[in-house]
Amino acid sequence: MVSMRALKMGLCVLLCLSAIACGGSDGTSGGGTPPPPPTSTVNTASVIIDGGPSASSGSVNTMFTTVTVCVPGSTTSCQTIDHIQVDTGSYGLRLLSQVLTLTLPVETLANGDSLAECTMFVDGFSWGPVVTADLQIAGETAHSLPVQAIGDSRFTNIPAACSGAGGTEEDTVSTFGANGILGIGPFELDCGDCDTVTNNGFYFDCTTSCTGTMVPANLQVPNPVTHFAVDNNGAIVVLPSVAAAGASNVMGSLIFGIDTQSDNASGTQTVLTVDDLAELLVTFNGQTFANSFIDSGSNGIFFADSSITTCAAPANDPTSQIVNFYCPASTLTLPVTIQGMNGTMTNNLTFAVGNAINMLENTDFDAYPQLAGTLPPGNAGSFDYGLPFFYGKRVAIAVQGAMTTAGTGPYIAF
Amino acid sequence: MPIFQSNDLKRAALGVAVLIAALLPQVASATLGQPEITVQTDVELAHASIKSSEDRTGYRVHEIQLPSGTVMREFVAPNGNVFAVAWQGPTRPDLRQALGQYFGAFASAPRSKLSDRRHVQIQQGDLVLQSGGHMRALSGRAYLQSAIPSGVSLGDLH
Repeated sequence: MVSMRALKMGLCVLLCLSAIACGGSDGTSGGGTPPPPPTSTVNTASVIIDGGPSASSGSVNTMFTTVTVCVPGSTTSCQTIDHIQVDTGSYGLRLLSQVLTLTLPVETLANGDSLAECTMFVDGFSWGPVVTADLQIAGETAHSLPVQAIGDSRFTNIPAACSGAGGTEEDTVSTFGANGILGIGPFELDCGDCDTVTNNGFYFDCTTSCTGTMVPANLQVPNPVTHFAVDNNGAIVVLPSVAAAGASNVMGSLIFGIDTQSDNASGTQTVLTVDDLAELLVTFNGQTFANSFIDSGSNGIFFADSSITTCAAPANDPTSQIVNFYCPASTLTLPVTIQGMNGTMTNNLTFAVGNAINMLENTDFDAYPQLAGTLPPGNAGSFDYGLPFFYGKRVAIAVQGAMTTAGTGPYIAF
Repeated sequence: MPIFQSNDLKRAALGVAVLIAALLPQVASATLGQPEITVQTDVELAHASIKSSEDRTGYRVHEIQLPSGTVMREFVAPNGNVFAVAWQGPTRPDLRQALGQYFGAFASAPRSKLSDRRHVQIQQGDLVLQSGGHMRALSGRAYLQSAIPSGVSLGDLH
């Protein structure tokens, strides 16, 4: 009798494991024994800093996670996709159509036309329709979530208003450097005014060609966290410290919700409120930069300091981007102060700048805590504190309006 | 010393062009390295408006407001040619139009493992293009090194 029960429990565990592995099964096909009632939603996904999907040209200081998407309403038409970049500096889930095996329904506007989006990143743009999917990540779900399907073969007619913005067309895994991106910045939507502005640059009404259109907020691509049934007021990134020289395959956690469960409770961390661009103040070298940001989507620490030697391009690669990174003769430890819009300031914070050429010589590594680079002077006024900020920290990003015991979003806390 | 004294006619022509641009739904837009009165109808800027045109020491700046919220600035040298463009806002302006023959350098910028989606610095021939920021707040500039009027600081080009 006892052994029979143990067998049943073992079977259940196996079924549960297989449900996690497939991500699509509902896990209730085990027969008579009902599963124990859930005490809470599993709210932690793992993240990894590695070299990115094999189809890409590699990456440094780039954090990835894995998501499962299903055709809305289906528990069987599902797909699990790895190497989704976790980006606290953007909003919305975007998937590369190249890796999508599902046919996800395209959103239609009130006039019946299809909705597509042009996502402008600093270095280029991604084009594709807005589709809907049921998203599962950890135990969290978002039903009928608007998602951008980048590079969808049904939408190859890129409007000039999108391609004319310039930069690289990032519509393939190779040019995008990931299988998708999960934008979990501290706001709900990727565009502030797209519900009232026709030529907003983001959203397009498509028939055989596409023209700019305003879009009701509920059709726009949102930060998926805000659409979770629970744990929907923000997210927490937890990464270990990384050795100065770098490391490979650094693993961490992405915890959803703030003060919604025991594992995401606020403590006594520093809470820095951000402005309506998710920016705050950074003081460095006696100068305060009002358009600064903390951003997991930046692969280094970027700031202007003409006293630090920049790297020289190797003779065999004169156009290498290495010239935009710092190469001091010895590691520098520099003080920096970060101040929120709420007036709260960090104390005694320092960061290290290593020699980028020396650290990148170890090509087995993907995580470099001391990687720092020059800020494009066209972006003066910023201090861009990228993924190295997150190493060795627990960083909470509370969305606008979130009420937590530590404060009201939008804020970043650590 | 006024630097545009010998260009009164050109100024008047520009004034008319700017006035027309302000009155029409479509705006005249100049292109990097081209004369400021190179009036080219630009579909992407179709609903933009010129916010201001200001003479500064050594150059003139036209500020163009895009419907997306982005502000674009075009910098004109005393010789009447556009020597720099800068932008700030949630979207980039129509750089195919604004960069003209230099657009390809940005569109074909190489990607490597050091690329992220937050930084671009291109130096190709005479062109320098620099951009940074994040979603909702993109900023950048492009200029022709040889065309910067003497006395103009790079720090002013934003």
